[in-house]
Amino acid sequence: MSSWFSRLYEYILSLFWSSEMDITLLGLQNAGKTSLLRVLGGGDFTSDSIPTIGFSMKRVRKGRVTIKCWDLGGQPRFRSMWERYCKGVNAILFIVDSADPATLQVARMEFEALVSKPSLEGIPVLVLGNKNDLPDAYDVDAIIDVMNLKSVDDREVSCYSISAKENVNVDAVLNWLVSKSN
Amino acid sequence: MSYKKNEDLDSGPGGSVMDKMTVFQDCIAGFNSSPIQPRRCRVLLTKLTYLLSTGDTFARDESTTLFFSITKLFQHKDIALRQMVYLVIKELAKNADDVIMVTSSIMKDTTVSSDVVYRPNAIRTLARIIDASTIQAIERLMKTAVVDKHPIVSTAALVSSYHLLPVSRDVVRRWTNETQETVLAQKMFPQYGGASGMSGPAPSYMTQYHALGLLYQLRSHDRMALVKMIQQFSGAGGSLRSPAAVVMLIRFVARVIDEDRNMRRPMNSLLVGWLKHKSDMVNFEAAKTILEMKDVTDEEATPAIAVLQLFLSSPRFVSRFAAIRILNRFAMVRPQNVNVCNIDIESLINDSNRSIATYAITTLLKTGNEASVDRLMKQITGFMNDISDEFKIIVVDAIRSLCLKFPAKQASMLSFLSGVLRDEGGYEFKRAVIEAMFDLIKFVPESKEDALSYLCEFIEDCEFTKLAVRVLHLLGEEGPGTKHPTKYIRYIYNRVVLENSIVRAAAVTALSKFSLIEDESVQASVKVLLTRCLDDPDDEVRDRAAMALRLATVPTPVAKSYLAPDSVPSLGALEQQLIMYVTGGPDAASVAFDISTVPFLTRDQVDADNFRAKVSSTMPVIGSSMDGSGAGSGAGAGAGGKGSPSAGGAASSSSGAGAHEDKTQMYAAALAKIPELQEFGAVMRSSNVAALTESETEYEVRCVKHLYKAHLVLQFDIENTLKDTVLEDVSVIATPSEDTFEEQFIVTLPKLEPESQGTVYVAFTRPEGEYETVSFSSTLHFISKELDPSTGVPDDTGYEDEYQVEDVELGVGDFLVPTYIGNFQHMWDTLPYEASETYGLEGVNGLTEACESVISSLSLQPLEGSELPLQAATHVLKLFGRTVQGGKVSALVRMAYSAKNGVTLKITAKSEEEVVAPMVAAAIA
Repeated sequence: MSSWFSRLYEYILSLFWSSEMDITLLGLQNAGKTSLLRVLGGGDFTSDSIPTIGFSMKRVRKGRVTIKCWDLGGQPRFRSMWERYCKGVNAILFIVDSADPATLQVARMEFEALVSKPSLEGIPVLVLGNKNDLPDAYDVDAIIDVMNLKSVDDREVSCYSISAKENVNVDAVLNWLVSKSN
Repeated sequence: MSYKKNEDLDSGPGGSVMDKMTVFQDCIAGFNSSPIQPRRCRVLLTKLTYLLSTGDTFARDESTTLFFSITKLFQHKDIALRQMVYLVIKELAKNADDVIMVTSSIMKDTTVSSDVVYRPNAIRTLARIIDASTIQAIERLMKTAVVDKHPIVSTAALVSSYHLLPVSRDVVRRWTNETQETVLAQKMFPQYGGASGMSGPAPSYMTQYHALGLLYQLRSHDRMALVKMIQQFSGAGGSLRSPAAVVMLIRFVARVIDEDRNMRRPMNSLLVGWLKHKSDMVNFEAAKTILEMKDVTDEEATPAIAVLQLFLSSPRFVSRFAAIRILNRFAMVRPQNVNVCNIDIESLINDSNRSIATYAITTLLKTGNEASVDRLMKQITGFMNDISDEFKIIVVDAIRSLCLKFPAKQASMLSFLSGVLRDEGGYEFKRAVIEAMFDLIKFVPESKEDALSYLCEFIEDCEFTKLAVRVLHLLGEEGPGTKHPTKYIRYIYNRVVLENSIVRAAAVTALSKFSLIEDESVQASVKVLLTRCLDDPDDEVRDRAAMALRLATVPTPVAKSYLAPDSVPSLGALEQQLIMYVTGGPDAASVAFDISTVPFLTRDQVDADNFRAKVSSTMPVIGSSMDGSGAGSGAGAGAGGKGSPSAGGAASSSSGAGAHEDKTQMYAAALAKIPELQEFGAVMRSSNVAALTESETEYEVRCVKHLYKAHLVLQFDIENTLKDTVLEDVSVIATPSEDTFEEQFIVTLPKLEPESQGTVYVAFTRPEGEYETVSFSSTLHFISKELDPSTGVPDDTGYEDEYQVEDVELGVGDFLVPTYIGNFQHMWDTLPYEASETYGLEGVNGLTEACESVISSLSLQPLEGSELPLQAATHVLKLFGRTVQGGKVSALVRMAYSAKNGVTLKITAKSEEEVVAPMVAAAIA
């Protein structure tokens, strides 16, 4: 009963103090962007999602905040179009596959290209090392190292190690996002 | 920006003036704002659509920017906005980069439940943005959409698949099964309305039409699959509910018939069935297809004409128009078949719809007799001014063929033609009139003088340069030969004074031809006129005049070879040679063009070519003049025959029918090379190839029987399959079992190399006009020489050898030619002579096998699909054909099958010729 009341309270509250924010999910193909988005939206994890061609849009609500998530395709042909969707967003989520060291170098190059774009200056970035449930997955520090995150000094950069499958640290991601809404 | 925009266009929706760049900027700002305002965005999108659909275009980068800002709108769930977004993306997709970006977003929309109104929009847009590399990703989605229960979704998917064909045919082919399912699903379209009393369009099964169209695209390369498809959908169940789909199926049938003669009979019975379909549209299409078949027979045409005749008295304009139009076309080819409708067509002459009346009159002109011509002409003159140019042309064409048919009426027709020539009209119309007059001059000599003077009058005030030039040319050709050539000189010289340079040049050439007349005074005056032309401002005109003057001073034969040459170069070949010369590069240009490489044609050949071209372009017109040779067409057809005997032959031979004709022609070419056979006359029938040896023997022998009027030629195709033996002096000794056949000569084969083929002909006389059957015991005679394995040279000494082959049978079937007729029962009732026999066939397994053997041994045409027994126990086979003399034969074969006794059959044969019926009945024994 109390939860019902609290939800009503939240709803009434949202009518007055609700806010919207835009974020983009980037990363190489098969990093887990679409799966993470599904889990962020409260859905169940499935491993058989099809590759995203282009982009797809999904709204996620957390408390008073509606987060519009632009989930962009990670295949090389779409990477050139990331910038168009990152302009003016509140935050960028950059997702890497922490259990696949081979792709991390490419991911670092794409990441560096992204943060060096003048049009995206100052937008906070959250780097997520996904799939930490797999054996031999890199931990947070290793990812920070490999991605060379320490060298980025013109904006706020955070890094979490998460697992969309096991629902590890997903709440932390949401909280981080909400904190970026203004 | 175009300059021609008028006020209306400049003020767009809402009356405000729309500027491309303002709209562009508004759109970018509006679509990128947050939160989205759906109403405002919809207005912006509408403006954008308006601009795009009125011809404005955006540069590639602008389009791309627009496209990407529109993709931002996917965040909003407003249904109307989403539909608008799809419409605009579809437009922009042609011109923007990276449109593939919206694929995932659209795919999400295409998988929503089928009630969502924008789902079809999403599917259609998806087809526009997808490319070959990603099309696999949407395969499953399209398959689901194609079989969706909602017809609008299904149609959207089908039509989109159609557009995807150029992207990737192979991928689209993977949903062939789904498409087929959709044809059979019979989805009502639209699903709602109807019951609630809405006055929407009547429910239809349009999805079937779209699915069938796609299916055809997927299968059109494969005729067998196409035929199977036609059989499947035309079947007894009548699974096609949409008339439009049936019409499309009929077009496929037409294509199949056109491409494969053997399919004609089964397909024709389908068409006849469709004549009784409940939809007018289907009736018309079926009738049209039947009547447009090559060499349609009377039996095939009659039911179609009967159906059209009913429609002639329909209360609806559209039906009457469609019916009379099809009949009109058919009347051009076969007026005698349309005669039956004359009474109905008469009543249409005064139809309030001018188009129907025009067609009615022109049809009657073709089908009617000489007496009614004047009356009809008066009718036409009455409303000639009320109809459009297009119909005027139809009328003129009808008159033209009429002129050739009834030359006696040329005066009234000529005055009609000259009358309409004075009327207002466009180029095409005037050209048709001029052509008609040209034909008159050519084929009806009595009309020449009058027609020429009408034409002179015409060029006095002619606004079409092309036509004036043609008329001047004709005057130059025909004028000098008339009684008063000077009359035309005045008209021609008037052109030199008054017209533009092109016409002046043509006039000078025409004028110069008059200098060939053997009359001092004419020659002198032509010379004076030509001298004046030397001062013309145009160099071409001056050149021609100077040339003509120079020719006037040379002897007549020389002048003639320039002015009226007996032979002209073949223009097609000349053009081709010149193109090769021009594109040949510097090497070719270093020497002069050699005109002698171009073949020259004599005047007769040119005439023949022209006539042939005319026959093929206006085949119906000429054909009608030949068919209706009863009353007075002698002159018309005669003139044609004189111009080119070969063309006349071609026209008449094309009316012969049947696959047997093709085969006969194939052999005829080979037989024509043997001089001894020429005196036998034409081959009446060539049989199928019969093998006289087992395959893979030393020598393989096949035989074809050629039947002549009083002779029989056996053609033995012999193949030497041995690798190391040469055969020399190969001949065949064939001994007839009846002494009424007498051997004439043998065309032997001097040498047959190893592993090669040769032909031996053996000729016999046969009792003329009789159908006597016979069998020949045949033996191959030859000298066999072995090759030396090391040198490959044959030994000097061979040895004589012979090789027994199977007997050659000349059976009843060899005298019969399968022929198709539409109405078996009717034919059956009219044939006078009858005979019947009963047989028991043992060792035959089932009725299908019995049917096949009866059909092949009688060589008659199975009708009404009776070649395939439907029941296992009893069957009736209906057969029809003609004898080589042309007499009709039909046979009714009743059969019964039981496992114990094999097949019992009773053949009842009827024929026009007395001897044929018993012969056919006894043929199986």
